[in-house]
Amino acid sequence: MIKKFAISILVLWIGAVLLGRLVQLNPNLIDLNAILSAPNAHYYLGADDLGRSIAARLLRGVEVSLLVAISVTVVTMICGVFVGLLAGFYGGKVDQILMQITDIFLAFPGILLAIAFAAVLGPGINNLIIALCLTGWVSYARLTRGQTLSLRNRQHVQAAESLGATVPRLILRHILPLLASILVVEATYSLASVIIAEASLSFLGLGIQAPNASWGAMLRDAVRYMLVAPHYVLIVGLSLMSLILAINLGGDYLRDRLDVKTKL
Amino acid sequence: MIKRLTGLGIVIFGVLLLTFLLIHLVPGDPVEVMLGDSATAADRVQMRAELGLDQTLPQQFCRYLGKLAQADFGLSIHTKTPIITLIKTRFPATLKLAALALLIGIGIGIPLGIYAALNAEQWQDFVVTLVSVRLSAMPAFWLGPILMLLFAVWLGWLPVSGMDTPSAIVLPALTLGLGLSAILTRMTRTSLLEVLNDDFIRTARAKGLSESSVILGHALRAALLPIITIVGLQMGSLLAGTVITETIFSWDGIGRLLVESIEQRDYPVTQACVLVIALSYVLVNQATDLIYRWADPRVQLA
Repeated sequence: MIKKFAISILVLWIGAVLLGRLVQLNPNLIDLNAILSAPNAHYYLGADDLGRSIAARLLRGVEVSLLVAISVTVVTMICGVFVGLLAGFYGGKVDQILMQITDIFLAFPGILLAIAFAAVLGPGINNLIIALCLTGWVSYARLTRGQTLSLRNRQHVQAAESLGATVPRLILRHILPLLASILVVEATYSLASVIIAEASLSFLGLGIQAPNASWGAMLRDAVRYMLVAPHYVLIVGLSLMSLILAINLGGDYLRDRLDVKTKL
Repeated sequence: MIKRLTGLGIVIFGVLLLTFLLIHLVPGDPVEVMLGDSATAADRVQMRAELGLDQTLPQQFCRYLGKLAQADFGLSIHTKTPIITLIKTRFPATLKLAALALLIGIGIGIPLGIYAALNAEQWQDFVVTLVSVRLSAMPAFWLGPILMLLFAVWLGWLPVSGMDTPSAIVLPALTLGLGLSAILTRMTRTSLLEVLNDDFIRTARAKGLSESSVILGHALRAALLPIITIVGLQMGSLLAGTVITETIFSWDGIGRLLVESIEQRDYPVTQACVLVIALSYVLVNQATDLIYRWADPRVQLA
């Protein structure tokens, strides 16, 4: 049930994006007669403060969100897993130093550090991705390190080691495969949190810049015009929540399916 | 204890180093970016000297630390006022907001969690879980506007934004607090359910204690530990959440100061705000740790 619900929301969004591309919706087309109009036959979800179609901008926005989320998740996972494997595998001084560094990153609450990086790097989609990558690797590093520490002493790893397996082989063949499922689950949840972080930064004006569509920036405009066009803020907010919910439910499903808790 | 203090010292040093290095991440010349094209060469030299950017990095860092030790964050580039004054005027507002949000979170979250746990697997539990899962999926910049729309625009009970009337704090605090309460509800429910079947609960019941003293005196006490940890960790998102919530509701706290300073490219203020928020988070976490040790009879205060 949950799986179907999550998948159907995701499929709906992706299908809508593809359909929008197919009929060449223009998210930047300005219609001054339609400024802040409520949903009607021409603008199914109404128009924004510049008379652009909210539906078209939502679709472009979700495209950007997913693009940012996927690229940030991939980069942070690779970096974080690398750090975590090093720390967990070698232990001792290496572990101490690497974990001290992650502790420092963890000392900045939530997206504060991403805000700080985005602020000094300047706005724009590339800097947004850099800022989110600079701060996102920490959770993977922590997770991988903890798992690796215990896997390191498993019998099959020690057996391989005593048979003379090299360190890369030990890590790639004997440790990493056992980490795969827990990392997949973590990555799913982090997709959702990166989407929220991206929207937060864009909301603060630090992310994607006008005239490009992004959900965070749309929410910011929507809040500004809330008194005249309450449908705007509701539509963008509900869209965002549906996507986050679908991804998180997908994560729950994967967690149960891959049996992450009992396996490791 | 000494080991813990060293760890804390290293983290604080790292936070200082990272915030110090922030300004050097500005692409190109920060002075150029801050002053704009209209500045004269003399202005630039003067500002560079003011910010200490003409020295080597280690020298600059020492200077930065030395000034911080005297609570001197330098001057705001935009308003020319000492940054410490800005922080002193703005930080209390944030603390007030965060404290009320924490109260709301605990006040709603723990009772609801107890209620759900006592009615586990029944419709009450189902409803509470459903609502709390939905709530925790709502980021502040979506929950805030919804509350604003509902209570300020449609019902007209509370002011939309600003901080002129005492009731203005309610909506931003609710925005921050409801998310926290959702997480606390789920946490309380789970950890209470875990202990409810333990032997000591059966013993307490067998002794003939009233149900309320079994739940509140025995079960909740044991279930409290994970809840304390979660509250401590959530203080982080609460502090970070103030940045967005204060922006939505025009609440003049340190979060809004941060956003304003970013918009005005006032990097020293940005730097100071990030530092103050991060350091308060570090201290809150330390405090949580101490409370945890105090609450858990198994952990000895070393």
